[in-house]
Amino acid sequence: MVMLSDLLRFQVKDSHGEELRLVDLAIHELDIDYPRISSLILGSDGSGEIVLPWDRVKEIDLTNRRIHVKDLRQAKDQDEPLQTVRLRRDVLDALILDLQNRRVTRANDLWLEQDAEHLRLSAADTGAKAILRRLMRGRYRKIDRSTLFDWKYIEFLRGDPGAVDAGAGYHRRITHLPPGEIALLASTLPYLHAAELLELLPAQLAADTLEVMSLERQLQVFEELDENSALQILQHMAPDIATDILGRVDAELTRYYLNRLPRKSAELIVDLLRYPENTVGGIMANDVVTLSPTLTVHEAHLILREKLKEPDFVYFLYVVDEEAPHKLRGVLSLRQFVMADEDQTIAEIMNPYLITLSPLDSPQEAGYRLLNSQLAALPVVGSGGQLLGRVTIDAAVSQVAPSSWRAQAPRVFS
Amino acid sequence: MKQKGTPVGLEPLDDLDLSGLPSRPRPFAPALRLNIRGRSVRLRGLRRPPTGLLRLLLILGPGLITSSAGNDAGGIATYSSAGARFGYELIWVMVIITVSLAVVQEMCARLGAATGRGLLDLVRERYGIGWALFAMGILLIANGGVIVTEFMGIGAAADLFGLPKLVVIPLAAFILWYLVIFGSYAWVEKIFLAMTLVFFAYPVAAILARPDWSEVARGAFIPSLRLDREYLFLLVGLLGTTISPFMLLFQQSSTVERGVARRHYGPERLDAHMGAVFSNLVAITMIIVTAATLHRAGQTQIETAADAARALEPFAGPAATTLFAIGLLGASLLAGAVLPLTTAYAVSEVFGMPKGVNLDFRRAPVFFRLFTWMILLGAGLSLVPGLPVIPWLVAVQVLNGVLLPVLLVFVLRLINDRGLMGSLRNSRIYNLLGWGTFLLITLAVVIMLGTQILGLLGILPR
Repeated sequence: MVMLSDLLRFQVKDSHGEELRLVDLAIHELDIDYPRISSLILGSDGSGEIVLPWDRVKEIDLTNRRIHVKDLRQAKDQDEPLQTVRLRRDVLDALILDLQNRRVTRANDLWLEQDAEHLRLSAADTGAKAILRRLMRGRYRKIDRSTLFDWKYIEFLRGDPGAVDAGAGYHRRITHLPPGEIALLASTLPYLHAAELLELLPAQLAADTLEVMSLERQLQVFEELDENSALQILQHMAPDIATDILGRVDAELTRYYLNRLPRKSAELIVDLLRYPENTVGGIMANDVVTLSPTLTVHEAHLILREKLKEPDFVYFLYVVDEEAPHKLRGVLSLRQFVMADEDQTIAEIMNPYLITLSPLDSPQEAGYRLLNSQLAALPVVGSGGQLLGRVTIDAAVSQVAPSSWRAQAPRVFS
Repeated sequence: MKQKGTPVGLEPLDDLDLSGLPSRPRPFAPALRLNIRGRSVRLRGLRRPPTGLLRLLLILGPGLITSSAGNDAGGIATYSSAGARFGYELIWVMVIITVSLAVVQEMCARLGAATGRGLLDLVRERYGIGWALFAMGILLIANGGVIVTEFMGIGAAADLFGLPKLVVIPLAAFILWYLVIFGSYAWVEKIFLAMTLVFFAYPVAAILARPDWSEVARGAFIPSLRLDREYLFLLVGLLGTTISPFMLLFQQSSTVERGVARRHYGPERLDAHMGAVFSNLVAITMIIVTAATLHRAGQTQIETAADAARALEPFAGPAATTLFAIGLLGASLLAGAVLPLTTAYAVSEVFGMPKGVNLDFRRAPVFFRLFTWMILLGAGLSLVPGLPVIPWLVAVQVLNGVLLPVLLVFVLRLINDRGLMGSLRNSRIYNLLGWGTFLLITLAVVIMLGTQILGLLGILPR
């Protein structure tokens, strides 16, 4: 119906003929598809601003470019809720996520529409004509509909990671995107915006998104998260990537988080942190799925149903002794497992001929070895033959690929 | 039979003896002991920040690059003229401006670290599209002009080496383009840092030129002021080439690109300070070189930077000329990459488009296209013979002069914004120095604009 930049030039007039300037529009709730304007911010020369609630607006007269309101003299200064957003001050010109085009852009202008009772924010104009329109101050009013993007599919970020906890409103439609796309969007955002974005995702999705970011970005964003979200996200992350992050932040912070994480996740991370970064131990993951060789396929099936809930990537099942040194005996692919007869034992169907890596090998060598083998992962075995973890193809690629590829290398298997 | 290696993958696991393999890291690998859940654990995967000299080297980055890029071809011309015309007299200006440069550059770095955003990005959100477009427009034109002079500087250096310009300029343009397009930020930063090493050519040349060091000290610490048109003009020129708008923008954008976070900003400020000190020491040695040779010999006029180098031959021998040429080449190359990058950052920031050396053509098309066009334009125009360089340079200087005070006001207001900066807000001393710099620069700009306008009106003799 009207562009914000145009509306801000309208006159505001009350029944007594008193006139004021419209300075801004305020919105209290941003979590609905098309947020309604909750109040007008009016200014007169010299005497500060007046907050006029929307219910005192009688009519928006588009032809005469006027807003008629009830008695202005009765308008009082109102306290605004803490998370109020002002369209001109906060949203206009700000960075927004245009989810339809999967891009970060700027709100060059805002499109408002009126329904029976309310004026609603309904689209953002991202086009160049919007800029021209604003620069020409009303002498040019052309609207290009093709650059108007539905507000429903726009996520507005404030650049303040604390805003989510403070109760700011979001659409949260971005939570339906795959983590890779969210991470890509976040890579073109300033880091405070990216941290805010992670805060508003559910913990599992936030963890998956953080996992696929570049290492530098991971650290920057991680350190801006509040402690609770950080703990939640760490719990849901693959242990090798949680290790990459915890190994790089302040040692004090590492200790803080390791002491507060659930015992199981903390132990996995501590085990990985024992290895220097330039070893196979430094790039391996240790959330492996193991089976005992004495089980039958049928029994294993029941056990796996529980175990498979945890790690993200399961392609190989490692067959490991039940007793203490937990020696690795062989490997099974999921496919072999599914194809096997119910009453065969695991020892019968596993493959005992196994290429293994040692945790202190050079990671580049291991990377090439894994790539050459064309397998998805290789197990890492200690001197007692015990299974320590596995190196996935993703970790191998990031060891041997040129640095310009690393940022874009997929992390499918971890 | 004795076997070499182990038959891994050839025998079932049970038959393999892996006991020879170490499974715990060697004890001498650096480790940190942490108390986790009441248990003391040795963690070798913790990365502790390096200490000492290595740490210092790792901190160096945006600040050193930006300040050194300020000593570009145009800068060399100004410093050489100052030295040739007035000997050591103007060095005190450089001493004062070093403090200003350090303060301004540090503030921009801090803004970048605290917000993760570039200067024009913040200007657009806080002060509106009008100011952002104003700054961007001036930068586009002014940077375009300066880039041409950088490639001319490369051409001049080629002349000094006796190489054909027509080959060297396009080659240099291609190399710069290739480095930025195909390198990650960390890599590009390293190359840029390596380029700043060539500036050591100037201190060496200064020592070779055997100046009178007591005279140098007097010039540096006892201010002299002459109410002479040429003196004022050079004084203003020194201020203008040392602090210019592109440096503010590049410092901030590259700090952001480096990924400096607000929690780790503390030590990074040293980079901005050291950059300012280093680049201005280089500038001072340039003044010393020309003062000790040309000025002493009574040759007080210099037309181009190449002139300055050629004029050195009779006094310091062929070594000084080569050094001068290497310095000029490095300076022009560095600025020839930094300026197009700054322009690309500026435009992308204003319009909110993806930007950054770490991305590629596919993900940040506008950023890289702008960068490419700026290099093509600069290299292309610099090959056109008989270009009216001097009026063009004057126009660029005027444009930059108009923009700089405006940007300084924005920086000073943004950096005092509590909501934006939090604990990284300006201290009182910084505000004092910052506004002092603003006054100094504004005064210089007013003098420059005044002389330009009076000169145009024919009131002052040229």
